[in-house]
Amino acid sequence: MNNLLKKLKKANKFSFFSFWILFLLYIGAFLADFISPYPYDCQYRQYSLCPPTKIHFIDKNGKFHLRPFIYGIKVINPYFNEYEIDYSKIYPIRFFVKVPERKIFGRIKFGICLFRVEDEGKIFLFGTDIHGRDIFSRILYGARISLSIGIIGVCISFLLGLLIGGISGYFGGKLDTFLMRIVEIIMVFPGFYLMLALRASFPLNLSSIEIYLLIVVILSFIGWASLARIIRGMVLSIKEEEYILASRALGLSSFRIIIRHILPNTFSYSITALTLSIPGYILGESALSILGLGIQEPYPSWGNMLSSAIGNLKILTTAPWMLIPGFFIFLTIICFNFLGDGLRTVFDPKNW
Amino acid sequence: MKKYILRRLAQFIPLIFGMTLISFLIINLAPGDYFTQLKMNPEISPQTIEEMRKSFGLDKHPIIQYFYWIKNVLKFNLGESFAYHVPVSFLIKQKLKNTISLSIFSLLLTWLISIPLGIYAATKEGKWQEKILSFLAYIGISIPSFLIAMLLVFFSAKTMVFPIGGTTSIFSPDATSWEKFIDYIRHLLLPGIALTLSGIGSLYRLMKNNFLEALESPYIITAYAKGLPKLKVFYKHALRNSINPMITIFGYELSGILSGAALVEIITNWPGMGRLILDAVLSQDIYLVMASLLIGGILLVVGNLLSDILIAFADPRIRLR
Amino acid sequence: MEKILEIKNLIVSFKIREKKVKILRGVDLSIEKNEVVSLAGESGSGKTLTGLSVIKLLPKNAFFENGEIYIDGENILEFSEIEMEKIRGEKIGMIFQEPSSYLNPVYTVGNQVEEAIKGKINKKEKKEKVIQIFKEVGLKENVYFKYPHQLSGGMQQRVLISIALINNPYLLIADEVTTALDVTTAIQIIELLKNLINKFKLSVLFITHDISLAKIFSHKIAVMYSGEIVEIGPIQKIFENPLHPYTENLISCLPEKYKKGDKLKTIPGNIPDFENLPSGCSFHPRCYYKKEICLTNQPGKTQIEERFVRCFKYGNIVENRKS
Repeated sequence: MNNLLKKLKKANKFSFFSFWILFLLYIGAFLADFISPYPYDCQYRQYSLCPPTKIHFIDKNGKFHLRPFIYGIKVINPYFNEYEIDYSKIYPIRFFVKVPERKIFGRIKFGICLFRVEDEGKIFLFGTDIHGRDIFSRILYGARISLSIGIIGVCISFLLGLLIGGISGYFGGKLDTFLMRIVEIIMVFPGFYLMLALRASFPLNLSSIEIYLLIVVILSFIGWASLARIIRGMVLSIKEEEYILASRALGLSSFRIIIRHILPNTFSYSITALTLSIPGYILGESALSILGLGIQEPYPSWGNMLSSAIGNLKILTTAPWMLIPGFFIFLTIICFNFLGDGLRTVFDPKNW
Repeated sequence: MKKYILRRLAQFIPLIFGMTLISFLIINLAPGDYFTQLKMNPEISPQTIEEMRKSFGLDKHPIIQYFYWIKNVLKFNLGESFAYHVPVSFLIKQKLKNTISLSIFSLLLTWLISIPLGIYAATKEGKWQEKILSFLAYIGISIPSFLIAMLLVFFSAKTMVFPIGGTTSIFSPDATSWEKFIDYIRHLLLPGIALTLSGIGSLYRLMKNNFLEALESPYIITAYAKGLPKLKVFYKHALRNSINPMITIFGYELSGILSGAALVEIITNWPGMGRLILDAVLSQDIYLVMASLLIGGILLVVGNLLSDILIAFADPRIRLR
Repeated sequence: MEKILEIKNLIVSFKIREKKVKILRGVDLSIEKNEVVSLAGESGSGKTLTGLSVIKLLPKNAFFENGEIYIDGENILEFSEIEMEKIRGEKIGMIFQEPSSYLNPVYTVGNQVEEAIKGKINKKEKKEKVIQIFKEVGLKENVYFKYPHQLSGGMQQRVLISIALINNPYLLIADEVTTALDVTTAIQIIELLKNLINKFKLSVLFITHDISLAKIFSHKIAVMYSGEIVEIGPIQKIFENPLHPYTENLISCLPEKYKKGDKLKTIPGNIPDFENLPSGCSFHPRCYYKKEICLTNQPGKTQIEERFVRCFKYGNIVENRKS
């Protein structure tokens, strides 16, 4: 693994950094219960659409505090969501604070939070949404959905694509034609339309788990087709190589040949293709969630956090911090793209 | 040449049939149907529901339903929308025009910008101009189209540069059709630019790579050996060959544009097919969904056919087998 | 006799991964009017690079480090690009190896030959000129409207020859022109070239890896090994009595030198990597005759009658060139 990282760094500095940024994001998602100051569904109605809280080290009188602190928030006009900084109240930020027990992954009880202020003060690093929920915390919890769906969906598509592409390419003939016709027909629909139509086949109100699985299934269904076609092409050319002929002469079963000889040769390309297609899956989930067809409230995903910004111009213009989830999506995508490019350079035989 | 076109058309037809089959299958995967919702409403009697089901043909076996539907599709009758109680084809006709105009506008704009930029970057490969452009393109490829659309809407709302939403402003009765046209274009700008910006990145990169590859080809050396000036070598020889692969992907581009257009339409409130299919999904209006899916697919296939024909014109190796 | 081409001490290097690697290490060659000089050697010896240097179309990372190339008395290494554009096609014509790749697939061959015509003449006359040269090279008139992919390899090569010769250049550079063709077609092209050279009194630099081809119409042959010319002289003499050990090996490998039952001879070893040349004479690892001096010093040019050879077997001239 270290070897790979070193090669990656040599190939492309950006991809090296991207790897670590993604690593941080995934850690953040995993440790969301610990890092976020507030639960994802905790509403502070009087603080809805509150701007991000600034952290200070130097107070109004010019005094330097070792421990960072925030000022209080004065509610001026709750109906128009106007707030002002209350310089009279200073809340130092405390670390590793004991909090009312939370359940990690819904099971294990856990009572420590990374950073927090006294209950009277509110630290909204990224502001709040329309229900007064802390966006920073929701981003961390939302990362779980947005980051995992991509990986899981891609893995399933990969397995499907590999299997079908491999079989189709190896056996050829009528089986190949039939399978490729199906692939073609699936690919002929614009992705977005297909996604929506598949979603429409199922009831709108499903439990969170069901929706999660459904999205994974839908994304995989759209994705396997193009991968299968590419794998098939590669198999076709590898098939003609001499060591395959040798394997057949030795009497290996077709299945074995496909699994042990042909498919491993497609791996270097596949891994790069996978990494580069993860952004597509993340976008798919985000698109569904923005439209209200994906992960449902109150559970956050970066997509559905953006849904209140659509169609409601007032919210968008007065609370631009609502777009922060969008930037996280962008960050994740660009990191995966850099990573994929770096992998591609690393695996390119010309560089060996 | 004619044979080639006929051959492509012949492949067209089974593809369309396959598409209708898949559209139908997908929709009928659904456990329950439109009426499951209604059944929950105690005010509507079960008999009424049963009658409505019969009138929509939902009580028959799925295969029979499929053939009825196909028969109707061929007659251009795509069924009736449950929610709006108007023929689906009527709804689609309205919105299709808007989606097509948006798609064509941004496709043209994307190409007009990406191709010269790509060529320019290819000539400045390795220098700072190319590095900046490529970095920008990278960002462009990675930014989700909906984020670009949202940012543009935000920017537009703050500065009132573009009209947001809809295709028309309110007019006095004696506005000329030219004025109406200009107004339409003004409304088209916001979604159009959002869509263009999200598409430029990848097309720029492709064009740059194609041009660089063309420049490495042996026939370029022949061209120089003839004593042709650099400019002529670039524009007569390299350019022609680098554009050809772009034409091939034109069909694929169209797919991306249609998908991207749908999402951008929804965010910028442009009344097109995207909005239509979304509403249809939200109300489980199956005929509308099926028809939208089918039309989306057909648009794509037509786009692919067009690009196949275009490439045949442009590349003699394909034209003259 | 006047020299059409004179290459003096040509040094061409490549910039590979920030390092500078010398490929042509001091090439001397001259071609007189109506003379055909073959440049022979294995793949990777630098022959094609020499050809490209004469027409000043070096690949991307290559550059001229030193030397002079005189064409018709002028040093083209001092020419600007615009001046080079003038003489390319007009004074120098070049034919390449794989005709199918060297022709642009989207234009008709007629179009491509026509655009090579220099001078202001109208379209109709240009077309006539093309048809005329087609006749010379043995192409029918209707080929004018064909695309490269519609022609056979031999016909494509004839098109390339037309392009090179349409302006009646002094100098023709032919780079491995038959390598990509099948044997029958290759023979036809060679015959064609022979006729054209005689008819138009061309001076030719004939680059090849097949020295038996060189024998067919060359006057002189220059043998190239790892970036320098190791032997140069009249073709007949070299075949009868090769001086340099490398030339000796090359000629003894020719099939005609074998009697039935002989073992096939090869030259042991491989051509050296330009980034890691052997010390001293670059051929010594594969040389049968090597002496101690060969490992430490590079041989200079020794003249024997009208021939030149770089080998310590014949003289002790040392010419150590730092890389």
